This record gives sequence, structure tokens and C-alpha cells, in this order.
Amino acid sequence: MGFMASRWRSAGHLDNLDEWGLGGRSFGTFVTWFLLGGDLYTAYTFIAVPAAMYATGAISGFFAVPYTIVAYPIVFVFMARLWSVSHRHGYVTPADFVSGRYGSKALSLAVAVTGILALMPYIALQLVGMQAVFETMGLGGNNTLAKDLPLLIAFAVLAAYTYSSGLRAPAMIAFVKDFLIYVVILVAIFYLPHVLGGWDSIFGAAQEKMAKTNPATGKPTGSFIPGNAGYVSYWTLGLGSAMALFMYPHSVTAVLSTKTRNVVRRNAAILPAYSLLLGLLALLGFMAIKANVNVKGLDGLANPQLAIPRLFDQEFPSWFAGIAFAAIAVGALVPAAIMSIAAANLFTRNIYRAFIKPSASPAEEAKVSKLASLLVKVGALVFVLAMDKTIALNLQLLGGIWILQTFPAIVVGLYTRWFHRYALLTGWAVAMVFGTISAYNVVNPATKKHFGGSLANIPFTNTPAYIALTAFVLNVLIVIVLTFVFRALKVPDGQDTTHPTDYLADRGDPGVKDLPEILDDGGAATAKS
Amino acid sequence: MSRLSAVRPAYWISGVLLVVAVVVPLLVPTYAKADPHLWGFPFFYWYQLMWVFLSAILVSISYRLLRAEERRRRAAQGLGDPDAPDADTEEAGR
Repeated sequence: MGFMASRWRSAGHLDNLDEWGLGGRSFGTFVTWFLLGGDLYTAYTFIAVPAAMYATGAISGFFAVPYTIVAYPIVFVFMARLWSVSHRHGYVTPADFVSGRYGSKALSLAVAVTGILALMPYIALQLVGMQAVFETMGLGGNNTLAKDLPLLIAFAVLAAYTYSSGLRAPAMIAFVKDFLIYVVILVAIFYLPHVLGGWDSIFGAAQEKMAKTNPATGKPTGSFIPGNAGYVSYWTLGLGSAMALFMYPHSVTAVLSTKTRNVVRRNAAILPAYSLLLGLLALLGFMAIKANVNVKGLDGLANPQLAIPRLFDQEFPSWFAGIAFAAIAVGALVPAAIMSIAAANLFTRNIYRAFIKPSASPAEEAKVSKLASLLVKVGALVFVLAMDKTIALNLQLLGGIWILQTFPAIVVGLYTRWFHRYALLTGWAVAMVFGTISAYNVVNPATKKHFGGSLANIPFTNTPAYIALTAFVLNVLIVIVLTFVFRALKVPDGQDTTHPTDYLADRGDPGVKDLPEILDDGGAATAKS
Repeated sequence: MSRLSAVRPAYWISGVLLVVAVVVPLLVPTYAKADPHLWGFPFFYWYQLMWVFLSAILVSISYRLLRAEERRRRAAQGLGDPDAPDADTEEAGR
């Protein structure tokens, strides 16, 4: 614990030298790789993906591999355009872009609110990830206060360094985190199969467990290799998650902090190194099955989230397990920091400035942003401490469904403005409601609770698919039909403040700003219109 | 005409490569099986891990094609190369 704290504090000191100034210095390929990696592959990923593999196998866990594989070609295609237009117009959030492109405050607000709603539970889950680690380390006692104390300390560190250092801090710490994670995973992948009797027996144990009948459902526990019925689930989960990944405002924040538009594309080619890591990590879930770890939590209930921390605790010497836990804990702080900055930007730019106080000065904006980032984190903490952890998990599941519904407005908007702004707004609203209701109707057969998973039958069929993608298809259909209707009725279309050449602009071109200028500018979109 | 034929292939080839990198890893029925095993890994698992590499290679090729293309376009418009300090020398001469 002390080891971790000193690490955090030293990074914090470095950052205090030059707050946003350094963070605003545009990031090159190398830093961006770490920043994006630190951003997208979170402590929650490191706990939850193997936990899903441990509990129910390939469909709910290993889909993460095709998911991260297909994410990067998709990013390669559209992110460079978003970079260009954002750097010419001073956009910081996806909602800024929507506001400038469609001239619609309502649509921009919809995108901003979706972003904040999706980010909150995500931050909360980072804290859940840390809690799982602390619980395994034996930190915290049985009463509520002692149990939550380590989490509160970690939280205070997170809040302090984000407040004082902005984006620079997570970028720095991402180096430490990724280095630690790489070492830990590589050691685990080469060492553990040796201890546990080889890959053959690990996969064998997993296959056996997945084939066993679950007494609560009367069906097999999980899937070792998806059968016919699971094909659609598997690829819709992969594709839907991939499309949603870069709709999250914190990924956009990281992408916009790069130096030139090509840094984004170059990263699309080298980020898959993390996918490989993730795939191997997922297999740790199977190793936990083979090693027969005990996943009972302090409250006496089985909790698959504990599978990986327990596996490390059981199979490694304590000093190495300590490093692994530190890596996971730091791994939670980096994305939580970037996410809270992204959520704060959304609030400041697209709610505070757009609706509450349009005349806000840049200094005032920065202050509001800092405070908002604190509020977001406190909100996340309250989630974890006051509410059932499963609520955070449910909301995270909903977050993925929600955030994908901003895809038509943002990504399609980068290529064409044919979609009508009110059609987009209606499609978004219907898909949000549909996705939420579908997810609510998924009842876990064992616990009889709602929000039992992210798969539901496609309407009028018996084929389960990822709800987010089903809602997305519905969304796009509505947008297309209504666009025809609104165009026929000649409903006013709003003003587009972007120009076709904006989408190809690069660093050094006339009107293209570096990140510090963008931040000081306070969103050119609202200023211009 | 010569310019038109110079522009098209880069975009078409990149487009096809990227579509392949997205679609093939999602064709679940083509790889949802256990055999052949590789170092104890069932086919389902090692095949998908292999696609991490293949996809990275496809995206890299697209990147190189498009970068060369974009440089040509920017040079024609009299714009500088923003990646110049760390650009590969082999392509700077064009």
C-alpha cells in the first residue's frame, strides 16, 4: 500500500511542475499509445474479462478479443476526420462537434448527457475493481468503515492528482501502469501453465466446467466454444462493443490530445498489442478454474470478480502478487482520471456554457471543469459505497447500450450531413428507451434479478444478440425514415458551421489549433453561431 | 487521367483491407471449433489471437498507402507535411 502511494505521489509531483501546459503539449505516437492503452484497458477490464471467462466462458468473455480487433480498423476510418474538424474548430467533446455540425443544441445536449450517463458507472466500476484487489490483500475489516477505508484513500489520491494536474497526470502514470501490467501478464502467461500442468489441462478443466449443468437454469454453465445458437451473440457483442468503444467521451479526449491526425491512424495499427494482452489475460480466467481458486468474498458470497486477484494470491509469492495488485490498482486510477476529465468537459462545454452561462470566461470554465470532475468522482464513489455493486454493473451494461446510440450523429456526421437533426434526435430517444427496457427485461435465471445480461432475443426471433446493436439498428432505421419525412416537410435543417476541407486538415494548416489553444478557446462552435 | 488512376487504387485497396479486418474476425461459424490444436490451444482460441496480428498488419498497410496518397494530395495543394520530423526518408523524395 505504501509502495503504491509513493508511486502515485511521485507522479503527482512531476505533474505539478507544469499543469495543463505540459498536458496540453500535443502528444506523439508513443505517449498516445500508452495514454489510449491506459484509457481503454482498465482495471475493470483486467478483473471483469477473466471473471466472465471464469464464470460463463467464451461468449461473455472471449468476445473481447474480436471486439478489440475490429475496433481499430473502425477507428482508423473515422477518427482522423474527427481529429481534423475538432482541431480546426476547437471542439473538445463529441457533443461540441454535433453542435457545430447540426446547429442543434438539443442534439448536442443529448450526446453530452449520454456521455455523462455512460461514464459515471464506468468510473464506479474502476473503484469496484480496486475494491476486489483490496479485499484479496486482506485490507479492511468486517465493519463498513474499515472495509471501505483503502478505497477511500485511493479515491482521495485520484481526486487530488486529477484536480491539480489535468490530463498530464494520467498520461504519466499510464507508463507505470502499462509497464507493470505487461510484466505481470507475461509472467503469468509463461509461469502459470507450467505450474498448473500445461495449456491442455487448463483448457480441459475449463471445458469440463462449462459443460456442467447449472442447477439454477438446467442449462450448461457456460460456453467453451460457442455453438450454433451462440454465433450471433458472439459477433454482435464484438461488433457492438467495438463501435461503442470510441464513442466514449474519454477515448475522444485522448485522441484529440495527439499531435497530428496521423498519430491516430498509426496508433490504430499498433494498439492491437493490447488486444493480444487482453486475450491472454482472458485465459487467466480458465487458469483460475484449473487452479480451483476460492472466490468467496468477505461477505461469504461467491464473487467471480475475485477470481484473478485470488489466483495471483494463491499461485505467486506474495511480493509478486503485490506488484500485480499495484498494477491493477494503478490501472484503475488512470482511466478513472481521464473519464472524470472527459465527463467534466462535457458538463462544462455542453451544459454549463451552452445553457447556463454562455458568457463564461476560459478561467471560469476551467474552474467549473475541475469542480465537475470532482463531483463526478464523488458520485462514482457514492455509487460504490452506498449502493449494491450490481447496480453499478447494471448501469455499466446500460452505458454501453446508451453510448452506441450517439454513433449515427457523430460518425455518420463526419461523412455526410444528410441525416436530419430531429430525425437523429428521435432515433436516439427511441433507441435509448428500447435499449433500457430490453436490458431491464433480461432476468437472471439464478437470482431472478433484472438487468441479467447484455444479450436479448432480436424482436420477433429466437436469436439472442447484443442489445446495443439491436437498438442501434432500430436507431438508424428511424433516422433514415424520419429524414425523408422531415426533408419532405421542409423542416428547418440548422446551420452547419463546418466546411468540407475541415475534415482533411492537419497540423500546420491554416486555422488548425494545438490542444492548449483549443482548451483556451472555449469551444469555437458556440462562439461562432 | 494518370492522377486519377494514381488516386484510386490506394483508397480502394485500403478500403478492402479494412473491411477484411473487420468482417473476417466476426465470422464466428468459420472458427467455432476445437481442432486443430496448437500448443494445447483449441483452434477457436489461437485463431482469434492470430487475427490480432493479421488485423494489425492490414491496418498498417492501409496506413502506409493512405499516408503516401495524402502527402501527394497535400503537396499538390502546396501544404506541408505535418509528420515531417519523423517521416521516413524513402518517401520524402516523391
